[in-house]
Amino acid sequence: MVKLPLIARLGLASFLSLVFTACRPPAAASSSTVPARRPVVCTTSYPLFYFAQRLAGDRATVRFPAPANEDPAFWRPSRDIVRQYQRADLILLNGADFEKWVNTTSLPLAPQVDTAAGFKQDWLMFPEVITHSHGPHGAHSHGAIDFNTWLDPLLALRQADAVADALRRLLPGAGAELEQRRQQLRRDLLALDQELRGLSTRLASQPLLASHPVYGYLAHRYGWNLASVHWEPDEPVTDAQWVAFDALRARHSGTLMLWEEQPLPAVGAGLRARHVLPVVFWTCGNRPVHGDYLQAMEQNLDTLRAALASAAAANPAFRGGPEGTEKTGK
Amino acid sequence: MRQVVFLAWQSLRFHRLQSAILIFGLAVTLYLPLAVNGLVARYQASLLQRAGATPLVAGGLGSRFDLVLHALYFRGHVPRLLKMADVQALRDTGYAEPIPLYVRFTARHAPLVGTTLDYFAFRQLPLARGEPLLQLGDCVLGAEVAATLNLGPGDRLLTDPENVFDLAGSYPVSLRVMGVLAPGHTPDDRAVFVDLKTTWLIEGLAHGHSDVTGTNTDANVVLDRTATNVTANAALVEFTEVTAENLASFHFHGDPGDFPVSAILPIPRDEKSATLLRGRYQVPDATVQILVPRGVVEELLGLVFRIKRFFDANAALVGTATAAFLLLVVLLSLRLRRPELETLFRLGCARGLTTRLVAVELTGLALVSAVVALTAAQITWALVSLW
Repeated sequence: MVKLPLIARLGLASFLSLVFTACRPPAAASSSTVPARRPVVCTTSYPLFYFAQRLAGDRATVRFPAPANEDPAFWRPSRDIVRQYQRADLILLNGADFEKWVNTTSLPLAPQVDTAAGFKQDWLMFPEVITHSHGPHGAHSHGAIDFNTWLDPLLALRQADAVADALRRLLPGAGAELEQRRQQLRRDLLALDQELRGLSTRLASQPLLASHPVYGYLAHRYGWNLASVHWEPDEPVTDAQWVAFDALRARHSGTLMLWEEQPLPAVGAGLRARHVLPVVFWTCGNRPVHGDYLQAMEQNLDTLRAALASAAAANPAFRGGPEGTEKTGK
Repeated sequence: MRQVVFLAWQSLRFHRLQSAILIFGLAVTLYLPLAVNGLVARYQASLLQRAGATPLVAGGLGSRFDLVLHALYFRGHVPRLLKMADVQALRDTGYAEPIPLYVRFTARHAPLVGTTLDYFAFRQLPLARGEPLLQLGDCVLGAEVAATLNLGPGDRLLTDPENVFDLAGSYPVSLRVMGVLAPGHTPDDRAVFVDLKTTWLIEGLAHGHSDVTGTNTDANVVLDRTATNVTANAALVEFTEVTAENLASFHFHGDPGDFPVSAILPIPRDEKSATLLRGRYQVPDATVQILVPRGVVEELLGLVFRIKRFFDANAALVGTATAAFLLLVVLLSLRLRRPELETLFRLGCARGLTTRLVAVELTGLALVSAVVALTAAQITWALVSLW
C-alpha cells in the first residue's frame, strides 16, 4: 500500500469531511417560522367595525377601541389608543364630522379612508343648532353636520363599499373572497332597506317624534314625518322643556317618540300621560349589548312594529298603511 | 537605486528650509483646487441625494426652482399656494399617496414644517429622544435646532410672530416639544416639525376659546346673540397654548378643503404610476405642476456652477505660474549645485546618476506635497461637513 505524504492525507480528510457535510439531508422546515403579520384595521365607529369584520374575516385584525359606555362621536382617545391608530395599516373614518377627536390629533394621511366622503352631497345638517361666529363679518361656523349616516341602509351600503375598496387595496390577494363577502353584506343591507320601506308604508304620514335629532337620515330616506327635541335619556325633563314639548305637539301630534335608550321612568310616565309612547330605536353608534349592527337594526324594526300596533290598538285615530306597499321615499 | 534615494534624502534633509518652502508652495498650489472641487462635489452630491430621494414634488404654478427649493430644503416661498382639496384630488387619482407640506412660519428662526406623520416614515427619520407628534400644538425638533436652542422633550417653543409691526394680527402659539430627531445631515436637522393642523392653528384657521353659546357666557365678549347664532367680539380670548384641559375646545372654521398647503410630495406606487400622474397634470388648464426634483436641481446646479469654471481657470493659471516659478527655482538650484555634482562625477558617479539624483529629489518633493495637500483637503472636507 502506498503511504501518502502527511499533507495529502490531511487534504483527503478535509475533502471527505466536506463531502459528508454537503450530503446531509436538508433541515425540516422550522415549525417556529414567524407568520406574516396580519394587517391592523382601526375604525372610529361600531358600524364600520362591523362592516370591516364581515368583509375582512380573519385576513385582518379589526379594532374599535372606543369604550362601550362612551359615545364615539364625542370620545377622546387616550395617548396609547392614539398610538394604536397611528400604527394601524388602515384607519376607517365615518366622516361627516363624526369623529371630532381626529381634528386635533396627529394621524398619518395614507392609511385614512373617509367612508362618507363619496356622498357628501347627501349629508344632512342637524336642525336648530346654535352656531357661533367672530365679529360681524368674521369666521362663521355652519350648522353641525348630522353624522349618523349608517342609519340609512343605502348610505351604510356606500360606506361598506368604501371599506371593501380599502380592504381590497390592503389585501391584494383576497379579492375574490372580499367580493363574495361584499355581495353578502350588500344583500343584507338591501334587505334591511326593504324592511324599512315596508315599515315606513305603515307609518304613512303619521307624525313621529324623536328625543334627539339623530334620525334625520331615516326620516329623509323613508319620508318620515319626524320632529325632534333635544333630550337626553339619562336626564330629567324640566318644566320649560315640557311646555316646549306640548307646544310642539300642538302642531305635530305624534304618539310615538323614538329614543336612543330607555328614558328615565319619570320622563316615560310624563310621556304616557300625554299619550306618547316612548320607543327605543338604538342608533348603533357603539357596540350593542346583544348581537351586531344588523341584529340591532332588526330589533329596532321589531320594536317599532310592535309600537305601531300598540298605538293603533290604543288610539283609533291612529291610521297607518299596510306594510309591504312600496312607499315613496328617497 | 537605493543609493540614489539615500543621497536624495540626505540632500533634502541638509537643505531642510529650502525643501520645506518648496513643499509648502507645491502643497498650497495643489490644495486649493483639490479642496474647492471636493467641497463642490460633496455639496452637489448632497443636494442631488436629497432630490434623488424625492420622486416627485407638486405645487402651484410658477417658478419650478422656488417650488423645489421650498419643498426639499424649506427655503423661500412658493409662487402660489395649493389647497387640501388639491391634495385629495391627487390622492383620488390612485397613482400616489400625497404628503402635504405647509412651510410658512418659523419658530426661533427655524422653519416650521407643517406635515403629516407620513413624512417621517417617507424620509426615514428616527427619533433620538422622546415621542412622535400626538396632537394639535405638538412639535418635533430637528437635531441641530434642538442642540442650538437647547430644547428637549417636555419643553415649550414659541412660534415667531409673522409681522413684528402687527403684534395683534397673529397669535404666537406655544408648542409642546414631543421629540428630537436623530441627526441625518439633511435640511430636516434644521427644521421644526408640526402637524399640518397646527400650522392652520397658527394661521388662525383654528382656535380654542371658551364656549360662547352657553347661558353663562360673559356678556362683554358677545357682540350679538340670536336664536341660532352667537357673534363674539375681539375681546374673546383665544388660547395660545394647547393643553389637555382646553384641547376639546379647539375647532376649525371654514371648509377643510380650502385650507392651504404650500407643496405636496406625491409618493407614487411605481414608475408607471409616476409617469401617469405627471401626464394627468400636463394639461393646459392645470393649476398644479408636478416636477421631478432631481432634474430641477441638476438644472439649477448647472446654472450656478457655471461660475465654477472661472475658478477652475483661475486655479489653472495659478498652477501654471507656480510651476514656472518652481522650474526657475530648480534651474537656479542646479546652477548653484554644479560644483557639488561635478565632485560626484569626479568621485566616479556617472552623469546619469546625477540626473537620477535630481529627479528623485524633485519626485520626493512632489509626492510629499501631494500627500500634504490631500491630507489638508480631507481635513477641510471633514470640518465643513461638521459645520
